Amino acid sequence: MSPEVGNIVVEERLEYAFAMEYHGPPITSELPRAVPINVDRIPVAAVVSQMPLPDKLSLPVVQPILANNLTKKFSKELKFLGSESNVSPTSVIAFESPNGAVIRDESLSKELASGSEITVSPSSVYAFEERRPGNDGCDLSGELSSSLDTHYPCGQYESGELSGMVDRSNGLGSSSISHDHSRELLNGVGSSGPLGFSGSFEKSRELSESSRKMMISRDYKGSLDYNNDLNKPDWASNESVISVDYPSSRVSSLKVADGCNEPGCDVKRAPVVTFCDIESEDEDSNDRFSRAGPEVVRAKKEPAVKVRKGACYRCLKGNRFTEKEVCMVCDAKFCSNCVLRAMGSMPEGRKCLSCIGFQIDESKRVNLGKCSRMLKRLLNDLEIRQIMKAEKLCEVNQLPPEYVCVNGRPLCYEELILLQSCPAPPKKLKPGNYWYDKVSGLWGKEGQKPSQIISPHLNVGGPIKPDASNGNTQVYINGREITKVELRMLQLAGVQCAGNPHFWVNEDGSYQEEGQKNTKGYIWGKAGTKLVCAVLSLPVPSKSSCASGDQVSNIISHTAPDYLEQRALQKFLLIGYSGSGTSTIFKQAKILYKDVPFSEEERENIKLLIQSNVYRYLGILLEGRERFEEENLNDLRVNQPSSEDELIGRTDGGEEQTIYSICRRLKAFSDWLLKVMVSGNLEAVFPASIREYAPLIEEMWSSSAIQAAYKRRSELEMLPSVAGYFLERMVDILRFDYEPTDVDILYAEGVTSSNGVACVDFLFPEPAYEENFNSSDQHESLLRFQLIRVQSRGFGENCKWLEMFEDVRIVIFAVALSEYDQFAVDENRSLVNKMMLSRKFFESIVSHPTFDQMDFLLLLNKYDLFEEKIERISLTKCEWFDDFHPVTSRNRANSSNSSVNHAPSLGQLGFHYIAVKFKRLFSSLTDRKLYVSLVNGLEPNSVDQSLRLAREIVKWDDERPNFSASEYSVYSTEASSFSH
Amino acid sequence: MSVAELKDRHLAATQTVSALRDRLKQKRLLLLDTDVAGYSRSQGRTPVSFGPTDLVCCRTLQGHNGKVYSLDWTPEKNRIVSASQDGRLIVWNALTSQKTHAIKLPCAWVMTCAFSPTGQSVACGGLDSVCSIFNLNSPTDRDGNLPVSKMLSGHKGYVSSCQYVPDEDAHLITSSGDQTCGLWDITTGLRTSVFGGEFQSGHTADVLSVSINGSNSRMFVSGSCDSTARLWDTRVASRAVRTFHGHEGDVNAVKFFPDGNRFGTGSDDGTCRLFDIRTGHQLQVYYQQHGDNEVPPVTSIAFSISGRLLFAGYSNGDCYVWDTLLGQVVLNLGTLQNSHEGRISCLGLSADGSALCTGSWDSNLKIWAFGGHRKVI
Repeated sequence: MSPEVGNIVVEERLEYAFAMEYHGPPITSELPRAVPINVDRIPVAAVVSQMPLPDKLSLPVVQPILANNLTKKFSKELKFLGSESNVSPTSVIAFESPNGAVIRDESLSKELASGSEITVSPSSVYAFEERRPGNDGCDLSGELSSSLDTHYPCGQYESGELSGMVDRSNGLGSSSISHDHSRELLNGVGSSGPLGFSGSFEKSRELSESSRKMMISRDYKGSLDYNNDLNKPDWASNESVISVDYPSSRVSSLKVADGCNEPGCDVKRAPVVTFCDIESEDEDSNDRFSRAGPEVVRAKKEPAVKVRKGACYRCLKGNRFTEKEVCMVCDAKFCSNCVLRAMGSMPEGRKCLSCIGFQIDESKRVNLGKCSRMLKRLLNDLEIRQIMKAEKLCEVNQLPPEYVCVNGRPLCYEELILLQSCPAPPKKLKPGNYWYDKVSGLWGKEGQKPSQIISPHLNVGGPIKPDASNGNTQVYINGREITKVELRMLQLAGVQCAGNPHFWVNEDGSYQEEGQKNTKGYIWGKAGTKLVCAVLSLPVPSKSSCASGDQVSNIISHTAPDYLEQRALQKFLLIGYSGSGTSTIFKQAKILYKDVPFSEEERENIKLLIQSNVYRYLGILLEGRERFEEENLNDLRVNQPSSEDELIGRTDGGEEQTIYSICRRLKAFSDWLLKVMVSGNLEAVFPASIREYAPLIEEMWSSSAIQAAYKRRSELEMLPSVAGYFLERMVDILRFDYEPTDVDILYAEGVTSSNGVACVDFLFPEPAYEENFNSSDQHESLLRFQLIRVQSRGFGENCKWLEMFEDVRIVIFAVALSEYDQFAVDENRSLVNKMMLSRKFFESIVSHPTFDQMDFLLLLNKYDLFEEKIERISLTKCEWFDDFHPVTSRNRANSSNSSVNHAPSLGQLGFHYIAVKFKRLFSSLTDRKLYVSLVNGLEPNSVDQSLRLAREIVKWDDERPNFSASEYSVYSTEASSFSH
Repeated sequence: MSVAELKDRHLAATQTVSALRDRLKQKRLLLLDTDVAGYSRSQGRTPVSFGPTDLVCCRTLQGHNGKVYSLDWTPEKNRIVSASQDGRLIVWNALTSQKTHAIKLPCAWVMTCAFSPTGQSVACGGLDSVCSIFNLNSPTDRDGNLPVSKMLSGHKGYVSSCQYVPDEDAHLITSSGDQTCGLWDITTGLRTSVFGGEFQSGHTADVLSVSINGSNSRMFVSGSCDSTARLWDTRVASRAVRTFHGHEGDVNAVKFFPDGNRFGTGSDDGTCRLFDIRTGHQLQVYYQQHGDNEVPPVTSIAFSISGRLLFAGYSNGDCYVWDTLLGQVVLNLGTLQNSHEGRISCLGLSADGSALCTGSWDSNLKIWAFGGHRKVI
């Protein structure tokens, strides 16, 4: 079948369209796929052509072809056949090359070579047998038979398509060689096998030798397909040989767990086939494996390029002795020149570029992180370290949890993590079935004696089965019938085993008989026992396994490797205009969910911060005092005669005194402090001053002047509302050995604002009363959350940085309710209501393109202050709320206790009013719903509730796609992937 | 003087300033008889043409899990540092495409990174408002993380960009969201100068980018959200040497032209512009009309070594190669084989100009270089 021939064929059949309907006999799944060629049987010969055609060609198999495309199509097919020759050592190339004559000679000689090789190779048994009939019927030389041998695979893979073509050609009766041929073949098959077969042989004799080979191979295929079980005795001998050989070799390939990865397959998987065998092959292998055992085999990647054994998969050079690096997924091998190009930056270790993201071949798991000499030569140390680290730690390369069965139940993701991260993990965990005795920590392969003692009490797998280790001694340990070796060990350890007792063995080796309370002894207590165990190759508990049984519960929180952190982290973005209390909420969350909310160092810093804050407050107070004193003195001077009573007395050389006056010593200190504050280096002088001024401070605080000034603190605008909390405890706080309490930290200003962004990772602790009635709850508790608090100050108005938070699940926007009557200076240096500033910021965040479709939770903070304030100051002080006309019950005035008649308080009314205002604003901007929650940052419960609400919102969001299948978010797939 | 009076005066002064600015603009327009493209065309220059193999993606650096935000090459040409939203800096060997360092950052929200001139250390900055310096030679700690060797803290807003002063490892210039730029002494960890800010005349919005003049390292230019670019002299911190108006959106990227007398800008208004620092003139606008009305912002720019080509990354994933002389797009890397799937967030040319590296939100970096066989002349 040379190109010219192909063209002629096409011309003749131009008027026909290729209908792709298949009319042939039903094709079962046993269409030839595994091929009776064993690894060793493949004749090794030099590659004839270097041209790596295969990947550039589109595959002819399924595409419907128009009549005018026929030329192309045919030439393509021809090329395919040709390209196969690249792979198989025999000579289809001859017709592909333009200057055929010369090359044909070459190929002929090659063929002869390969033929001769076949005779030598031990695998050529049936090749010989084939040759015999071939030689009988026609005088073919050895080369043909050799090619017969090697060409099986090619033909077989084209089966489906071929028979389609065949059918049509039946109708046509065209002179296409191949079609003619296969028609004959089909006829033969249909009527009587042997006849048709010999007929095809006859024909093939007249053809050009290469095409003849192809056809013959197809013939075989056809007959194999349809007559697998019709092995009539009168079939030609070669036929029967093949049909017998076919299943057998198939079986042999089944035995190899990863048969597809056998080098032999590289040859048989000619490029024509690759794309279709992903599914089909897979089904098949799944079939096979499901029969073989409970193991699930995932899709296997195969190298994209098929090369001869021993060559580099990229440059096709080299032999089996050249050093090569292997792809962990598809087994492709690359020489040192090509490996870096083929594997690129190796983000997941040694995988070729197309395999990145695929699971590694289980048989190569042991090699994870073990570097070859070749790589070491090519790359420097640092690079190697990075690659090996990535290889070991990246998520795709981890053992798939469902491969490991413990006590008859495949593990889920979390269980595997638990198992691997426990203090004494099973060594070299491989896919397989294991049993695990949760009480004692004994661990072994199913049906075998224990191999190791791992950490006990891990909640993995099902309950242990009595026959887990396939024992027959009728002695039970923790409900498992033990093996003879174990019994022997027990006896040697001095345990009474008469009467087939049932023992309970704890992780420390103490054992008791079932139903009895007292501990009878320690199995591993005696020194000799360990020796016995060693002799019998039984495990003894390692130190770590018995020491740490109770730590297991919180293990996940501290040993999570990198790839875990990425996994189930749900990010909440907490944001708000400055003064909205995000910092308090953040601190509260830290205190709520962290075992150690603040480290020693942090606490030390916070202590200094609080102390300097107190100094600052004191300074403000002293400043106020001076002002008040001055005012008073002025008043005094003005109405001296009338207000004699204000005057306490005159001392110290005629200096006037009011209740705001302080003695000279304190005055000196006060002046100093104010001077320091004005110069702005309070932080610099302050640690030293602590000790020095502590007694003075005490004296000052107790002085009546300061107390009097403190009473008028509401007039000091600079003094923040929290100052009172600290000032009242000032004497304690300014002690040198002061330790800030959590509440102090909560109240303290400036703890989290040291840099612009702060985040805390946390898990929601499972409340005790909530029973895990549903197993998915258990997994949810493993979801990790991250609360990110961003300070809006200094981050600009146009929010360039917001796009960094694209991956957050929900934006929690905090607004301080109490700021409706407060004013701040905005960027235009004009006084603006803080609520309006909050609203403006809210608008800019909500309408930011990054947060398109994002859920928002509005936290209305500082409700306590608000409730108190709204009684005094009308909400209409803020222009946005000017239509707030609460309908208050008329008798509210006389029944001050509103809870009696359930009338909402003014505070509640105000809250609802503001919430509705924000909701309207939100829906006018986005057409979505805004979630609103009331919170008081200083109350742990309210913060906890609002964060849980945020979690619920996220969860609803995840579940939404389950109801409407149309929108399927990434997150929901994630969620489902760790719940199985 | 009362507050109201002050306000009035301020208003009047502002009006005067803008009036003067307008006049200046008018005058400039009068003087500006042509732009670069017009002149080159009149001189009969033709745009650079690209063959199919002249610029191909020859490496893909995979390893980040998050959006790549920034990259920088070493002067010794084959190493790249990249910063990504997964909270890592990765140092790559661009020749082998392997990682040499993966540095886990204390704050994951990193926006910029830079290689020191000697290649011994890298700097990065982000939302934590701190510029962190990592010495690549320092030993790793127990968990295999590289410790921070210096924290340059002092900015009150995010650190949007940083660049080492050429030829010395000791100084660094940062730009920040607090409307200032800073010159830092790394050995002491202190800020030697602050450019702009509250009491000085400077940018009036977040500064997004800086670029130091390659031929005179005392001069640098900054681009800001106030849609201006400003030229600074490191010896004069109080005021900008010159302010360049023209853009109609945030200036996301500035980059000095190789000769040091011009610089390029890329902006949210979808244009790149070329300014002359001596005359203060805008020399050329690079703008490609898109079919729809959307104008993709320019995220990052880079000049070729000769300055003839301007590489500009756009937020829609395009990466245009402009002929700076003719003002025409001669190639779009976004349409080539193996191009990025996401927004191109950063660009960088190797020191010898032989390769271009692009970083993208698809978490990959790609290296583009001449892909054919060179003719021996």
